[in-house]
Amino acid sequence: MAEAVSAVTPTRMELLKLRQRVSLAQKGHDLLREKMDALVIEFFEVLKKIGDAKSAALNQLSLAYRALSVCSAVMGTIETRQASREAKRELEIEISTRHIMGIVVPTLEVEELKRNALSRGYSLHTTSSVLDDASKEFEKALGLLVKLAELEESANAIARELEGTKRRVNALEYILIPRLKATIKFIEMRLDEMERENFSRLKRIKAMLEARE
Amino acid sequence: MNVDRILKFELNKLNVHLPKRRISLKEALESTRPQVATRDGSVHRFKREELDFLAGLVPEIDRGRLQLPILIALDPKFGRGAARITGEAEVIAISQILGKKSTGGELLIYRPDVAIIRRKLPTTTQYLFMPG
Repeated sequence: MAEAVSAVTPTRMELLKLRQRVSLAQKGHDLLREKMDALVIEFFEVLKKIGDAKSAALNQLSLAYRALSVCSAVMGTIETRQASREAKRELEIEISTRHIMGIVVPTLEVEELKRNALSRGYSLHTTSSVLDDASKEFEKALGLLVKLAELEESANAIARELEGTKRRVNALEYILIPRLKATIKFIEMRLDEMERENFSRLKRIKAMLEARE
Repeated sequence: MNVDRILKFELNKLNVHLPKRRISLKEALESTRPQVATRDGSVHRFKREELDFLAGLVPEIDRGRLQLPILIALDPKFGRGAARITGEAEVIAISQILGKKSTGGELLIYRPDVAIIRRKLPTTTQYLFMPG
């Protein structure tokens, strides 16, 4: 049984106030529990997406590294490295936000990730077409990695919020509401006791008055 | 007591992610940056592919009536996990996604349905917590 609030005046006014507080706490508990359920749905959705995105990114990276190995074999390691130094490295990512129940999660949108051979920046004269193939594969992999980063950050944010909400729900469910209910019970019992005391006192007074007459 | 104030603050914070003003699907489709300003002052963007998906679900005449984001109202009054969708155009779109018959301007859905909707429309739907 939860411990009643010790410094409480057993009055009807206090009882009314406590009943209001229980109702508010109950309402808060129900809403926060709904929020927690919704967060769990979101969290598992994101986890599922992360699994898919991770395997897709790994497969694509494996393809890209294989293409790079072929490229190094055909063109030579030094030439491949030289071409990679010449390539343009800027990537424009638009970072905006979306909200999942007040949690701000990032949305990353990449514009023009797949470039043509001319816009990559390396010389077409001195390189082979296998370098274009490897670049294409890496560009695809980069898109998948950006998506994966967005999902992982979302999962982290949701997990943090879920932890906080769960703590609040538990505090309401196992501490605040039982404590308030115990205090209400204490006041009710005390008021009943006072009523009984009053009743017996009145009876005693009545008996004394009757005896005097 | 301090706890009550914290609780009230928590309850007030539940719906800060909702937009100050919702926009129609038609407006969103025509906009170059489909987005809404939220109550906490931030911006919520809609993904273009979701807008196109929704446009394919509702008749052209209803695009001006479908308000975005679609609100999934969670009310403890309906029981744990139950949610409500309101608005005729919104109900048509959601019913089509769930493969249900659309009935009037209100639709009661349950947790598995909510998960399906959120999976298909992560940016064009939002949760609304009804304090009752």
